[in-house]
Amino acid sequence: MWESFGFEFINFYFIPGLVLGCIYALGAIGITLTFGILRFANFSHGEIMMTSSYLTWEFIMIFTSLGILAHPLIGAIPASICAILLALFVDRFFYKPFRNAPTIMIVIASFGMMLIIRSMVQVIWGPNQLTFVKGIAKPNEYIRDLTASFDFMLLIPNKHFSILIGTVLIMLLFNYLLSSTKIGKGMRAVSDNPDLAKVSGIDVENIIKATWIVGGFCAAAAGVFLAMDTQFIESTMGFRMLLPMFAAAILGGIGRPFGAVAGGLIIGLAEELSAYPWFGDGPVISPGYKSGVAFSIMVLMLIIKPSGLFKGKVF
Amino acid sequence: MDIILGYFLYGMSLLTVGGIYALLALGLNVQWGFAGLFNAGIAGFAAIGAYTYAILTTAESKFHYGGLELPLLVGDVMAMVLAGFIAGVIGLICIRLRADYLAIATIGIAEIIKLVLKNESDITNGPRGINKIPRTWEHFSEERFYSSFPLNVINSSDSWQIFFESIARWWWQPFFAGTIILIVLLTYFLLEKLRTSPWGRMMTAIRENEMAAAAAGKDVTRRRIEAFILGALIMGLAGAFLGQHLRLIEPTQTFDPSKMTFLVWVMLIAGGSGNNKGAILGAFLIWFVWSSSELVTNGMIEILASIFDSVDISILKNRAGFIRMLFIGLLLQIILQRYPKGILPEKRPAVSGKI
Amino acid sequence: MIKKLIISVMILFGFSTVTIADVKIGNPMARTGPIPELVKPMSAAVDLAVEHVNDQGGLFSDGQKYIAVKVDSACDPVAAVDAVTKLVNVEVVTGIVGPVCSGATIAQAESVSIPAGVVTLSVSASSPAISEMESNTDLVFRTAASDAYQGIALAELAMSKGLKEIAVSYANDDYNAAIAGVFTKAFTSMGGKITGNEAHEPNKASYRSEVNTLGAGSNNLALFAYYGSSGITIMRNAMETGAFENFIGADGMLAQEVIDQLGAENLGNVTFTTSASDSSTDAFKSWKKHADAANVPASDPFVPNSYDAAFLMALAIEKAGSADRSKIAAALREVANGPGEKIYPGEWKKAKGIIASGGSIDYVGAAGPQDFDKNGDVAGLFSKNTVVDGKWKSVVIK
Repeated sequence: MWESFGFEFINFYFIPGLVLGCIYALGAIGITLTFGILRFANFSHGEIMMTSSYLTWEFIMIFTSLGILAHPLIGAIPASICAILLALFVDRFFYKPFRNAPTIMIVIASFGMMLIIRSMVQVIWGPNQLTFVKGIAKPNEYIRDLTASFDFMLLIPNKHFSILIGTVLIMLLFNYLLSSTKIGKGMRAVSDNPDLAKVSGIDVENIIKATWIVGGFCAAAAGVFLAMDTQFIESTMGFRMLLPMFAAAILGGIGRPFGAVAGGLIIGLAEELSAYPWFGDGPVISPGYKSGVAFSIMVLMLIIKPSGLFKGKVF
Repeated sequence: MDIILGYFLYGMSLLTVGGIYALLALGLNVQWGFAGLFNAGIAGFAAIGAYTYAILTTAESKFHYGGLELPLLVGDVMAMVLAGFIAGVIGLICIRLRADYLAIATIGIAEIIKLVLKNESDITNGPRGINKIPRTWEHFSEERFYSSFPLNVINSSDSWQIFFESIARWWWQPFFAGTIILIVLLTYFLLEKLRTSPWGRMMTAIRENEMAAAAAGKDVTRRRIEAFILGALIMGLAGAFLGQHLRLIEPTQTFDPSKMTFLVWVMLIAGGSGNNKGAILGAFLIWFVWSSSELVTNGMIEILASIFDSVDISILKNRAGFIRMLFIGLLLQIILQRYPKGILPEKRPAVSGKI
Repeated sequence: MIKKLIISVMILFGFSTVTIADVKIGNPMARTGPIPELVKPMSAAVDLAVEHVNDQGGLFSDGQKYIAVKVDSACDPVAAVDAVTKLVNVEVVTGIVGPVCSGATIAQAESVSIPAGVVTLSVSASSPAISEMESNTDLVFRTAASDAYQGIALAELAMSKGLKEIAVSYANDDYNAAIAGVFTKAFTSMGGKITGNEAHEPNKASYRSEVNTLGAGSNNLALFAYYGSSGITIMRNAMETGAFENFIGADGMLAQEVIDQLGAENLGNVTFTTSASDSSTDAFKSWKKHADAANVPASDPFVPNSYDAAFLMALAIEKAGSADRSKIAAALREVANGPGEKIYPGEWKKAKGIIASGGSIDYVGAAGPQDFDKNGDVAGLFSKNTVVDGKWKSVVIK
C-alpha cells in the first residue's frame, strides 16, 4: 500500500497541505480586507478565529444537552454570528477612536486587543485543551473504494472533505459579493481610493462595518475548520496561525482578496511539503522549522516584490 | 523579622526586574521614540542577549554548548554585540518597510529566533534551556569564581568558602539590584547626551518629516539602521541581565512576546514615548502594577471566597494570571485613548545657542 | 483618591499573606499545563494530609495551623521559579512540597530553593537527573521512585510482549527525555532494536511528519510525552495514518482524557506504565480507608505519594520543633527513615505524642516505605495499564 506511486505524497502531505492552505486562505481574506479598507495590520484577527472555535464548542455542548444534532458545522452558525458581533464591538470601542490618528495607534490597539481577547477566553474556558471532536477520523470509505478501483487510493477523512468543499463554497459566495452587490463594489471602491469613494457618496462607515462582518465570518470559518482538523482547541491556536496568514496576505498582494487565497494555499502547501523527504530519507528541513517556512516566504516577498504576486498596495 | 526580610527581598527583586525592563524600554525608545521604528520583536533581541551570555559564561555541560567559562563582563559585552549584529542584518533588509510591515517582519523574526533556539539543541539544549547561569555578585560565592583570579589573590579558596557560608544567603541581592540600577542610570545619561547631540536632533527631524530631511541631504536609511542597532544593543544587555536574574532561560516561556514585547510597549506608551525619563518611569510603574497585581488578584479572590462560601475559588486562582493579563490589556487601551502622550510628554531637544 | 488606592492595595496585599502564628509550606503543583487531570487528585491528597494534621492537634504544643500555600508551577521551569520565588521570599514558607514535574523541580531547586536553604520534597518528579543534581547540599527529596527503574521495567515489558524492535518518540523536556534515554539503553541491552529515536516539540497542532518518519521503520512506538501537550495528538496522527499498531509509554500518558479523546475501541494495543503502590501493605490499607472516606482516588498515579510528602513534611517540622528552615532536612531523614515507632498514613496524633515525649518514629507511607537514600531518593513499584471497559486497568509489576 505504501509503495504505490504518490500514495504517501498525495494522502499524507499534499492533501493536508491543501487543507491547511484553505484555513490560511480564509483567515488571510479577513486580514487583507482590513489592510486594504481600514489600512492597518490587525493583530487580533487570529483571536477572532480562536474565539469562534471556542464558541462553536460551547454551542455544541449546549445543543448536545438539548438533544439537538451537534455537528461542528451546525454549532458554527450561532458561533459565527457571535464572532461577527464581537468584531463589530471591538471596532466600535477600540478602533473607531483612531480612525484619523496615525496608523501606529490602531496597530498597538489591535496588539492589545489580541491579548485581551485571548485572556478572556482563558479566564472563561481555562487554558487547557478542550476536545472538539472525539475519536479518530478514518478515511471516507466511499471515496477510498471508488479511487481504489482506479488503482490509486485517496484517503480523505470526512473532516477534510468538509473543509475543502466549505472553502470553495465560501469563495464562490465571496466572489458574488464583491462583483455583483452594491456593498461589494463599495468595498472595492474604498479599498482603491477612500477619498474618492467618500466624495462619490459611499458611506464609508457602512463599508467598514461590512468589512468586519465579512472578515469576521471568514475568520470564524477558518477557526472552525482548524478545530475540525486538529480535533482539539486551545487558546494559542489563533496566534499560531497569525503569522502565516499575514504572510499569505502579503504574498498575494495587500487588498487583493483572491491573492490572499492563492497566498494561503501556497503557504499551506509549502509548509506541509517542506517536511516531505524529497531527497533521500529525511525531510528537507527539520519539522521543528515548519512554521519558519511561511515567514521566510514573506520576508522574501517583502524584499523582492513588496506588492505581492497580484500587485496589491504597498503604501 | 522574617516577614520584613521577605518584603525587603521582594522589593529588591522588583527593583531588579523593573531595572531590566527599564533598559528594554530605553532601547525601544531609541528605536521608536528617536527613529519611529515599530519594533515588535523585542523579545527576540533580549533572547539573543540572554543566550549569548549564558553560552559564554556557563560551565561545561553535556546538554549544551558551553564550557567556555568566560568572565561575566565579556558575556555582557558579547550579548550586546550579537544582538546589535543581528539587528544590523535585519535592519539592512527591513528598515525601509512601513510601520505595520516592520511590525509583522520583526514579530516574525523574533519567532524565527525562538525556533532556532528551540531546535538547535546541540548548542542551546533546545526546549529544556540553559541553567546555572552565573549571576553577577552572587557568582563570587561559587567555587569556580572564588578559587580563581581575582578572589584567590585576596584569600585562599577554603577561607572564601567559610566566609560565604557564614553570611546571609541573600547578601548579593542588593548589590545585583544596585548594579542594574546603575547601568540604567548610565544608559539614561548617555542617551540624553545623544538626544541633544547633532545626531539626536537629526533623528527627530527624520521622524517628524522624513521627506524634508531627505531633501536636506540626510541619509535617512543609514540613520534609521543606526538607531535600530543602538536600541538592540541595549536590549541585548537587558537580556543578559534577565538571564542572570532567572538563572534559567528557555526559548518558549521566558521570551514570550505576548508578555515581554507587549509589556515593554505598554511601559513606553504609558511613560511617554520619545522621553527617556518617561521610559524608565513607565517601566517601573507598569512592572510594579504587573507584579503586585498577582498579590492583589489573589487577595481579591480570598475576599470573594470569604464572602461567598460556595464559590470554588481554586478555578479562579488558577486563572488569576489571565485575569491580570486582561486588566493590563484594558489598561493599555485606556492609556492609548485617554493619555496617548503618556505621563511624561516628549521633551524637544533644546535649540543650540548658535543659530 | 491616591491615598484610598494605596490603602486598599495594602489591605489586599495583607489578605494574601496569613497570620504569623501558622506554619506555611509551599505547594507548587502543575495545576495548569500538560497534565491537569493527573494533578487534581494529587492536590486533593495534599489537602487530606493537611486536614489530618490540623484535625489531630496541629503543629507544636500550641496547635499551630499547618497551611499549604498553593501555587501553580504549570509543569514549566520558568513558572516554577517565579512561583517558588514568591513562596520563599514573600510567604516565607518553611519547606516545599512539590513540584510535580521534573523540569520544574530541577529549575526551582537550582534557582531558588537550594540557594535559599529550603527543603524541596517533590511529590512525583521522577527524572534520574534529580538523584545527581546536588553536590554539597542535602535539600532535594522526593516520594516517587526514579525513572531509572521505570525505564528498565518498560523495556522488560516490551520484550515480554514480543516487541523486538521499536521506534521511540519523546517530548524534549527533562522528564520525557530522561526516561526515554533509560528505556533505550535498557531495551538495547536486552537485545531489542531501536529503529528510530526522535525528539518532538510539544504543543504542536500536528505531528504527521514525525509520525511518518518514524513509522517507516517499525510498527511499534514507545511514546514518552505528556498527554495534554503532544501525547494525544501523536497517537491520533499515528492512528489516522496507520503508521503504528502497538503503543507503549510511561506515566505522562496515563489519563482518562486519552480514552475520552481517542476512543476506547482504538486503544486495544496500548500499554502504559506508571508508579504504583503495593496495595497489600498495612500502610496502604490505612491510607485507603482515609482516601475512600474523603473521596480521593487511592490508587491513582502519584496520589498516595502526594499524601506521603505533605504528611512527611509536617512530621519533619514537628520533629524539628520550630519552623526554622535549616533544621528540616535532618528532621526529614529522621522521621522517614527511622529507626522508630512505625507511623502509618493518618496517624498524626500518635506521631505527635511520640515526638513530644522525645521518641523516634519511622513513617511508612501509602506509596511505599519512604526511606530516603543518600540522594534523597526512594524505592518504588510500577504497574502496567491497559484499557479495559473504557477505563485504565492497572496491574502492579512485582
